[in-house]
Amino acid sequence: MKFFILAYKNLKRRKSRSFLTIGGVAVAVAVLVALLGFNAGYQEALTSDVDKMGYQVVVTAKGCPYEAATMILNGEAGLRFIDEDIYNQIISDPDIDKITPLLAQLAYDPGKQGGKGGFTNYLGIEKSYIELKPNVKFKSGGWFSAENANEAILGYEAAESEQKSVGDKISIPDKDITLTIVGIFERTATQEDGAVFLPLKTAQRVFDVEGKLTGIGIKLKQIEKISEFEERLYPIASIQVISMSQVKGTILNLVNSAKILIMSVAFIAIFVAIIGVINTILMSVFERTQEIGIMKAIGASRSDIFKLIWMETLIICTLGGIFGSVIAIFGGNLTELLVRKVMPYAPGGRLLLITPDLLVYSFLGVIIVGIISGLYPAFKAASMRPIEVIRSGE
Amino acid sequence: MREHIVKADKLKKVYSSASQKIIALKEIDIEIKKGEFVTIMGPSGAGKTTFLNLIGCLDRPTSGKLDILGCDPTKFNEEKLSRIRVEEIGFVFEDFFLISFLNALENVQLPLVFARNYKNNNRPRDLLKRVGLSHRLTHFPNELSGGELQRVAVARALANNPEILLADEPTGNLDTKNAQELFSLFRNLNREEGLTIVVATHNVRLGYSADRVIHLNDGKMEKDERLVK
Repeated sequence: MKFFILAYKNLKRRKSRSFLTIGGVAVAVAVLVALLGFNAGYQEALTSDVDKMGYQVVVTAKGCPYEAATMILNGEAGLRFIDEDIYNQIISDPDIDKITPLLAQLAYDPGKQGGKGGFTNYLGIEKSYIELKPNVKFKSGGWFSAENANEAILGYEAAESEQKSVGDKISIPDKDITLTIVGIFERTATQEDGAVFLPLKTAQRVFDVEGKLTGIGIKLKQIEKISEFEERLYPIASIQVISMSQVKGTILNLVNSAKILIMSVAFIAIFVAIIGVINTILMSVFERTQEIGIMKAIGASRSDIFKLIWMETLIICTLGGIFGSVIAIFGGNLTELLVRKVMPYAPGGRLLLITPDLLVYSFLGVIIVGIISGLYPAFKAASMRPIEVIRSGE
Repeated sequence: MREHIVKADKLKKVYSSASQKIIALKEIDIEIKKGEFVTIMGPSGAGKTTFLNLIGCLDRPTSGKLDILGCDPTKFNEEKLSRIRVEEIGFVFEDFFLISFLNALENVQLPLVFARNYKNNNRPRDLLKRVGLSHRLTHFPNELSGGELQRVAVARALANNPEILLADEPTGNLDTKNAQELFSLFRNLNREEGLTIVVATHNVRLGYSADRVIHLNDGKMEKDERLVK
């Protein structure tokens, strides 16, 4: 029998109390790990989303730039229109490397998601769209046969959820048109995986917005030239230029300020957990006054008792750390679901990035917390004098 | 080789609180030799427990000299005192004071843990066998009778093979039969292993079964009887 066993046996005899304390620590650790993991994951997912988008600059109708940016990232429609002329006007700008016109439209489909209903994004695109997006590749099929063809290309998830393959027909609700699927894109892990792509001209015709666009995606030769480029477009009153890196920064800023708030909640949880640990151990020390006195009387030294009580604290914190990490890893999906619901913009891919590093650091953190919170109760116990206990027993 | 295990010289102990001072021991001189079986008798408040606590290194004297196994515990810090306690002294209490969440065997192993003696694994078992409890190894204190509890306590006191066994009213919570048995166990340990034993007791009949009876009264030694057997 060693000290560890002794400490363990003592914790075991007050099962529910020990368990609750461990639970408190576990929750605090889980919250911390999940939040830190979310922070890392969100940043990575957002960066990858923005990079995958291909365009560095988007030209849209004037309005709230962040709303517009979020809509573009989400592949949503609802944007205001700009004239196609503007596209023709800026296409010859010397700083532009690649440019593509976009028309995004949204339609409610009552048959979607097995009858539950839902919105489908329709994106009118031209061939230049693929050139701008290096990661968009065909899984099967190919490009539209003509500029005005009644054909569609499906995003990976759109094809998957509707169980469609090349050659199948689809229709747009409330529109008198049938489209033949000519291609399916591979997964890009962006929001556009769920979209239905149409030739730009077809989209303009079907949605009755001929000569209109919702945005123009642009890749500059040198991103540093963006302010000069922006200045040249300034005279066109009806449009605005949005730089995606700016948008990324702004979204991250928003997320960061939310993060600070959540972090303070996490630290409060940890603080409460520490108090809980100290309270539990201290209580058990006071309850065991006689026992500790007996141990001292039969030869336990100050440092023995200190070690014993300290070890109990460490066991609680270690177990709490282990359970907390497990909860964070397996509860991660739940957190992600929740986060996706409340976030103004949630990028594709996994939001929660729990790395071994993160786990190790959180674990070390909780051990240090355990070491610190065990000090006082252990010191208290070690200072008890055996003689008083023996006397009180008389 | 020194002959005595305990030598007290003008040993005095005063308990002081805010309101009063109680002189528990009034400068007593006692010498206990190796291999002696001594009982200390006297009415309540005579200073028996105080004396045992002092020679058991559980407490410090107010004044006077104390020599335990050639050491002067008054000069020791707490760490060193606990060292002596764990290695050289075995203590048995009136209320048994077993650890409730450990079984009989683990209770006996406990002093070995404090002595960092992880190797000598058979001794606790042997000791429990010696006190007649080899069938009770995994029983917890609440499953044992008073006599059994006290025998576990004796086994625990002997775990680190101490030089001296101190017992403070060990029969106080036992019936006549178990008290008798405990004293015969002491007798045997003293005879067969030469263990020095000091027992404080109220029980006159059992007290006189020892080799030497020291009478304390009001903090002073009244009589020191050596019994010839």
